[in-house]
Amino acid sequence: MTPSTLDALIEALRCLPGVGPKSAQRMAYHMLQRDQRGAARLASALSKALEVLRHCARCNTFTEDDICQRCANPQRDPRLLCVVEMPSDLAMMEQTHAFKGMYYVLMGRMSPLDGIGPRELKLEKLVERATDGQVEEVILATNFTNEGEVTAHTVGELMRARGLKVSRIARGVPVGGELEHTDIGTIAQALIERRSV
Amino acid sequence: MGQKQRVDQQPGFVLHTHPYRETSLIVEVFSRDYGRMALVAKGARRPMSALRGVLMAYQPLLLDWSGGGEVKTLIRAEWLGGQPLLSGKELLCGYYLNELLVKLLPREDAHAELYAHYAALIQRLPGETRFEPVLRAFELTLLSELGYGVPLEHDAETESPIEADAHYGYIIDRGPVRDVSPEDGLPMVTGQTLLDMAAGRFDDPKTLVQSKALLRHLIQHHLGAQPLHSRRMFKELQAL
Ligand SMILES: [Zn+2]
Repeated sequence: MTPSTLDALIEALRCLPGVGPKSAQRMAYHMLQRDQRGAARLASALSKALEVLRHCARCNTFTEDDICQRCANPQRDPRLLCVVEMPSDLAMMEQTHAFKGMYYVLMGRMSPLDGIGPRELKLEKLVERATDGQVEEVILATNFTNEGEVTAHTVGELMRARGLKVSRIARGVPVGGELEHTDIGTIAQALIERRSV
Repeated sequence: MGQKQRVDQQPGFVLHTHPYRETSLIVEVFSRDYGRMALVAKGARRPMSALRGVLMAYQPLLLDWSGGGEVKTLIRAEWLGGQPLLSGKELLCGYYLNELLVKLLPREDAHAELYAHYAALIQRLPGETRFEPVLRAFELTLLSELGYGVPLEHDAETESPIEADAHYGYIIDRGPVRDVSPEDGLPMVTGQTLLDMAAGRFDDPKTLVQSKALLRHLIQHHLGAQPLHSRRMFKELQAL
């Protein structure tokens, strides 16, 4: 291996989030020196994934088919569309077994100061999905960060303008959580958003 | 390089954050006595980090930091509370304010008056229904505080007081002048608009329209080639 091949590998590893030059170097040496079989597995898994995975035409998550199994499942309620930021959020929602509708995965969130807006998130694709004639309610399940909130607002406006019902998941003190051990911001917001019982 | 210095209990707001190394954040803050600062929040991206939930824009914080270089080390951030989280249009306005500050405010330059204006504005954003007048007032404070004088009360050529009924063209760094032709390409305003701006009154619809165009022209001049993303997003949202 010429040094430039090694440099190219280190440079390539830096595309991983949070990986700087030092970590990239550590990873490269580790794979080449200690775990060549693991490295080969990674290389083939990566090229296979790049070859076969694509975005589901309906929910935008990764799938090997045009339409993923979840979207093709006739048992799910086509009137409800839940919008989440990432596939990992979708996985959490599914674990609740509390939602039987459909999903749309944004694959990101708005971040105006970083130049990530409606155009970069391709929100026109979501608009197309939500106006299929079957969706009645759009549930905004983006994160409760400023980025998640501005994304929810933007998506909400787009959906309302098209006559769809829009709702936002609620936030508050965690189930089984004690006030004493909950962060101040959550308690403050739970108080502001209190409801009559 | 400055001396290693420790600052405690400094009131401030987070303007923006970006990832740094594997688990940390660089936090751009606007502090009351030190202006805009870059702080590194070590480990703030770890799932259980105590800093993670606290370092949120539009929330008044008390910050402790130390260090001598350009980027200081954040030691502690305390949530002051009393400020509802922003949502909807008010949040878009918040992003616009923060983008202006990040792009126009030099680092480590104290601006107590601008800070007070910003803090008061963030506080009144929730529930605000007319955003335009408050944004215009902030833009004007920002330009004046940064030392980009915005003369509004006298004709830059004759030095005579502004006449409410007259029309003026506005020359950057100099001020309003009369008798300009459309070919000069200057932003045009009425004397009344100039007088309203000088008095901080932005309620009149005509003043609002004209001051918006004038302030946008001035801000764009000082931004140079840097685009304002939040302004573009306002437009994209309306187009969709
Ligand atoms: Zn799907």
